[in-house]
Formats: sequence, C-alpha cells, structure tokens
Amino acid sequence: MQFSNIINASLIYATFRASTPIIYAALCAAITQQANILNIGTEGIMLVGAFTAVTVSYLTGSWVLAILISMLAGMAIALIMAVGHIKYQAEICAIGMGINMFAIAITKYLLNSILGKSGSFSDPKIVGIPKVHIPFLDNVPVLGDIFNNWAITEWFVIILVIVITFIFYKTVWGLRLRAVGRFEMAAQTAGINVNAMKYQAIMISGLIGGLAGAHLSLGYSNLFTENMTNNRGFMGVAAMYFGNAHPVFTAIGCLIFGFADSVGARVQAYGVPSQFVLLMPYVITVAVLAISMASKKAAEKKRKSSLTT
Amino acid sequence: MSDYVVEMTGIVKSFGEVQAVKNGYFTLKKGEIHSLIGENGAGKSTMMKLLYGMYGFDDGVVKVNGEELTSITPKLAIEKGIGMVHQEFMLVNELTVLENIILGFEPKKGMTIDFDTARKNVNHYIDQYGMDIQIGKRINQISVGEAQRVEIIKILTRGANTIILDEPTAVLTPQETRRLFEILENLRRDGKSIVFISHKLNEVMEISDRISVMRQGEYIGTVDKKDTNPAELAKMMIGREVFLNIEKKKAKAGEVVLKVDNLWTSGEKEISKIHGVDLEVRAGEIVGIAGIDGNGQSEFIEAITGLRQVEKGKVYLGGQDITNLSPRKIRDAGLTHIPEDRNTRGLNRTMSIMDNLIAVQVDAKPFSKGMLLDTGAALEHSKELAEKFDIRPRDPQMSTESLSGGNAQKVVVAREVSIGGKLLVASQPTRGVDIGAIESIRSILQDVKEEGLGVLLVSADLEEILSLSDRIVVMYEGKISGRMDADEANEDNLGLLMMGGQDTSHAGVQEGGRDHD
Repeated sequence: MQFSNIINASLIYATFRASTPIIYAALCAAITQQANILNIGTEGIMLVGAFTAVTVSYLTGSWVLAILISMLAGMAIALIMAVGHIKYQAEICAIGMGINMFAIAITKYLLNSILGKSGSFSDPKIVGIPKVHIPFLDNVPVLGDIFNNWAITEWFVIILVIVITFIFYKTVWGLRLRAVGRFEMAAQTAGINVNAMKYQAIMISGLIGGLAGAHLSLGYSNLFTENMTNNRGFMGVAAMYFGNAHPVFTAIGCLIFGFADSVGARVQAYGVPSQFVLLMPYVITVAVLAISMASKKAAEKKRKSSLTT
Repeated sequence: MSDYVVEMTGIVKSFGEVQAVKNGYFTLKKGEIHSLIGENGAGKSTMMKLLYGMYGFDDGVVKVNGEELTSITPKLAIEKGIGMVHQEFMLVNELTVLENIILGFEPKKGMTIDFDTARKNVNHYIDQYGMDIQIGKRINQISVGEAQRVEIIKILTRGANTIILDEPTAVLTPQETRRLFEILENLRRDGKSIVFISHKLNEVMEISDRISVMRQGEYIGTVDKKDTNPAELAKMMIGREVFLNIEKKKAKAGEVVLKVDNLWTSGEKEISKIHGVDLEVRAGEIVGIAGIDGNGQSEFIEAITGLRQVEKGKVYLGGQDITNLSPRKIRDAGLTHIPEDRNTRGLNRTMSIMDNLIAVQVDAKPFSKGMLLDTGAALEHSKELAEKFDIRPRDPQMSTESLSGGNAQKVVVAREVSIGGKLLVASQPTRGVDIGAIESIRSILQDVKEEGLGVLLVSADLEEILSLSDRIVVMYEGKISGRMDADEANEDNLGLLMMGGQDTSHAGVQEGGRDHD
C-alpha cells in the first residue's frame, strides 16, 4: 500500500465530490432545524428530487428544467410534512419517516410506470448537469486535478452555503426564524406569525432537498437507482447536528463524511475489508456527536454547580 | 370619549372546564401605576394576557383608547401601544440583547438588518431611562434583573404607552426591585400607564396609584392607594380576615427524623444554588421554609428527595444516610413527598385517580401479586382514600385530567399521607387551589404532625408558613438567612430575612416596619 496513492491532490476533489450531495441534504435539514423542526424527511425529499430530475431530463432533454421541477417536487413533498406537522400537529419524526418510506415506494412505482424499468434507469438521453471545464487549468498540475471539471452544482453548493449563512444571521427573516426555533413564545409575543415562519422554512427546505436529489442523480451520477440516496439524507441530518445548524460548520461536518468516504474507497483497493470502510463515516458520526454533546453537557453542569463560582 | 386608556368589562375566560376569569373588570388611566393583585390563580395574569392577545376572551368588552377590540393578537396589542413583561421573560437565550429587542420590528437596509440604526435607537432609550444594559451580550450571559430591563426596553422601542408587568419582582433581589421601581416612576413621569401585577402588598402599597383586587376569577374592587392599607387589601384578596387561624397544636417534638448537614447542590439559576445548608426536622413538628420563589427552595427539596445530585454534604433520614440515593430508595427509607408542581411531578394527568393514588406503591402488596396487579384491592383502597380525603368526583376510575386544582392536589396529598413513614416533604402544598382545599390540606398537615411524622413545609405563602409551622427557616440565595420559633415570627421579621436582610432577631417587630432601607 502506497501512502501517496491514497493521500494526493485528487483526494481533495474526491472528498468534495463525495460531500456535495450530503452538504445539500444538510442545508435542507439546517433550515428547518433553525425553526426547531427536525427534518428526518430529508432522505425522502432528496430521493424524490433525484427521481424527478432524471425523469424530466430524460423526457425534455433539459437539465435546467430537470433541476427546477425536482426542486418543486421536493417542495411538494415537504408541504405534506408541513401540513401534517403544523396544521395537524403530527409528531415530526413519525411524519418524516413516513415521507421517507413513501418516497422509496413512489419512486419505485413511477420508475416502473413512467420509465418502464425496475431497479435502475440510465439512458443516453438523460442530460446531466454540465461540468465546468477550465481549459487553462488542464496543464497546471495540482490545481487542474483539484478544480477542473466540477459540475455546476458543485460550485453552486459553495455559494449556497454562503447565501444561507447570510440569510440566517444577517436578514430579518433569519433572525425571526432563529427566534421561532429557540423560543416560540418570544417570537409570538413579538408579533411574528410563528406558523407562517415554519411553513416557509419547511418549503424552502423542500426546495433545497429537491436540489440535493437533482445533483445526486444528474451531477454526481447520471442515472437513477432505487433508494439511490443511500442514507445521505440521514448523514446530512447528522452533519447538521454536528454543525449546530450553522451552514458553515454543517458543511465542514459533511466534508468529514466525504473525506472518510473517499479515503475508504481508496484503501479498499489495498485489501482493507470493505465492511470496515463502509463503517467509517458512521463511526465518525457517532464519535463526533458524542464528543460535542459530552463537552456541552460538562459545561452546563459546571455552570449550574454550587461548588464553582 | 373615555378617560381610560384601557377598559375591560364583563370579561369571561375558560380553559377547558376551569373558569379562570368569571367577571373581570379593569380600567387604566393615562399616567398611573395601577396594581392588579390577588392570590395565585385569582385570574390577574389571565386578565392581562387577554388584553395582550395571548388568548382570546370568551365574553366581555375590551376597549383601548375608547376603541372596542373584538379580537386581539399580540401584534394588534403592540400596534395599540400595549406591551407586556411576562413572568417568564420572552427573550431568546441564544440571541443577543440587541437581536431580542428588535425582533419583529427590525430596521432594514435593503435585505439585511440595519444593526447600526437599531443600536442607535436602543441606546437612545437606554440613556433616556438610565438603565444599564449590555446590548452586545447574549441573554444567557446577563442577570435576571438585566434581562427584565431588556424586556422593558423592548416594549418601549415598540412604542408602548401601556406597560403590563406580570409579577416583576418575584425574580428580583431587593436591590433590583428598587431599581425597577425607579424605572417605573420614570416611566410614569413620561406619561406611560403601567399595570403592576403582584401579590406582595408592601410593594403594591409603595408603587401604586390605584389598586384593583381579584379573587378566584372575579373582580372584587378598586381602591386608591391613599385610602387603603395592607390589612384591607389582604382581606379583599383572601375574602376574610387574613389568617386562616387553624388552631395550631403545640408540637410534641420527638427525635430528629431529618438531618441535613452542610448541603451543597447545583441550581438552575445563580441565586438558586444551595451553598451549605444545615437543617433538622424532628418527629411531630412542622418546619417551614420561607423565602421568595427561586431562592433555592426547589433545588433544596430536590436534593433531599433524590431528584437532584448532592454535590457536597449529607442527608440523614432517621439516622440512615440517604445522600444521593435514588428517589425510590429514599421513599423506602420513609420519606413521602408532595412535589411543588402537581402537573409534572405529582400526578400523571392522563391516568385515572386510582392509578395515581397507588402510583408509588404499585409493586407492593396488596396492589400487586407477583407480576399482576390486583385491581380490586387498588380500587377498594382508592375508594377509601377518595372518601377520607373528600376527592371529587368520588369515582376513582375517572381520569385526573379534568380534576380541578384542589381535587388534583388532594389526590397527591392523599397518596403521600396514606403511606405514613417518617417525614413528609410538602412543597407548595396549596399553590393554585381553592380556599376550601387550602383549609383541608392545611388541617391534614396538622394531623400528620399529630401522628408523629416530621413535616418539612416549603411555601412562598408567608401566611401559610406562619399558620402551620412550629419552627421557621428562611432561605435566601441558597443559604439560610435566619431561623426562629414560630411564636417569634411575624410577617415583618420574616419579610426582612426573605429579602436578604439581617436577622435583627427580636427587635424586628416594629409597627409598619419596611422591608428595605
């Protein structure tokens, strides 16, 4: 096993590439989390987005239209959650899990009925999200490996992280959203329509979740397979917890997963058992969450103790 | 044209089957401080929450500046110049002071919040009223008194002319109370109208222009401060002479059942951490812990009953070390507990009266036979208790969900008292219950003492402490600020200790003695 074959410049892109779908998913979860709504349905929203994107791209030949419609599809699914949770006060985790199961079933069914396939669907007529080719980087050794040929949505995710950070912390909407999430009554007494804020958060979350799926099926790959999200939605939720729903820290959490994933893919080639490799992102999730929770708890205990001043 | 900025007449409000306000009446003149007083559960907070639009009212007329408002939301109330400082502050801990103040009324610059303008505005108010507030800090970094000033500034920046304060001094130290009163007087001078909700008569007598009294959801009357005195107000609040005058039976104190030795425990707030408390309770006596809510009484009781980790010190029950044992083992050692909040710790309100009555003995004979419950025995026992303690409805299989405060509390009391043991810890045993239930619960506590149990009573109600206890300790900021026998105690010397004053001991019995200097 040669170390330089595992850790080299292309690992940086591999990490980022593996992380991007998770970052989208995590942003989807972060927006509702700021309103204190745990979006377990991220996985399902993303899966519906992925299917819609492939189908629309196949039928129309337009990747732009594919992305837009998959975002709307994500929003439609999110709307089910919003109505169930806000209007009918259903427990959000139960409804989120319901959405996830529904997504698996509906995509499987539509794959069969619209595209006439089962298991997976790929076709030359599916137009993927274009890659940004920067000609002059072709001959630049390291930078060329790292930055050339990113899908447009891979560049876009960076913009999105910045934009959402800005929205959360600099805009009126963001302040109100955070107030709603942390102390609903305070927001209500400030004359804010709490339910409207929650609806908006879930709907926007749905748009981003749909985009997450579109990127997965048209940017990250160029096909649809049943349950292709493969827990990326849940990993996004974990990363969101790690980053405390702050977009930048959340994205860093995703990069840790992406890194574990791409290193794993490489060491696997050198005989490290694949089960172990597949385990790594989850072990890291548990470790990271455990450490951050334990330190928070210790600080809280110290604050309340009578023995410290 | 009306002389009043606020006029509320014939107000009715029910929550489920409980009628919180039956015939509410309240008026507010421009530029006055009007106190709204009454016991816990008298409906005074509810009245003001209706005015602020926190709930809709069922019946009645609300006029603000002469204009009738048929349905009110907080947003509309704010527009009409009404602001409310809630008992529980409506501040988001994780946000900064500035963010909290501007929330909902953010100055904008394009898409973003104009923090510079916001800061300027807020500082203007802070300077005008001479408040000291650090606007860059997060709420969880500032003191309670400062948070309250943040609430007041928040309301002022929203253009409030009518300011409602719901028991604002309950969480304050005496010094902070003084500062609050100065601020209120400044506001009055500026023509603001203020509603001051309280049940502390000395404060009410100090700050008010007019005083309205409510009792059990009904309007009793309004008096001018200059024409009244605390005794009259107390009579209006309670509905009869102040003291319930249960004949106190002389204690036949026996051996020590509870010994607390230098106890330290954590607290939810800085002033509620327990710093080294010593206490003894003997068999056959009632020891009362007096104090302003939040000075560590709850934490102290939790530590004794095994609900909170003891960080230092020892607790002995009948000679047995029960420090940091599980609540279950502590109960087995002979402690029974009427928790301060019957809805979270005293009862499971989704279950029946019977289930609640046998809850702590459910795995003991005769209620369990091996793995099975003996419902017959449980039912019989429950019927007996329902009869003996006058729990209504009598049917033990009814859910506790719809019970009134008094009957719900009787279920808790019946369960704990019927067990016996060595020590009964009664925390706020009559909070929020009707007068009838207060009387019967108090006489039950007397009986328990007669039977030879030690009773540790915690109450924010000074009158309750005075009428039941044989010995009294006062808790202030997590320490015991004074101890005395009940016959030396009165509202003056206890009040002084509750506010952190020194125990001037027997000299504290001055006529009309004020609680501050």
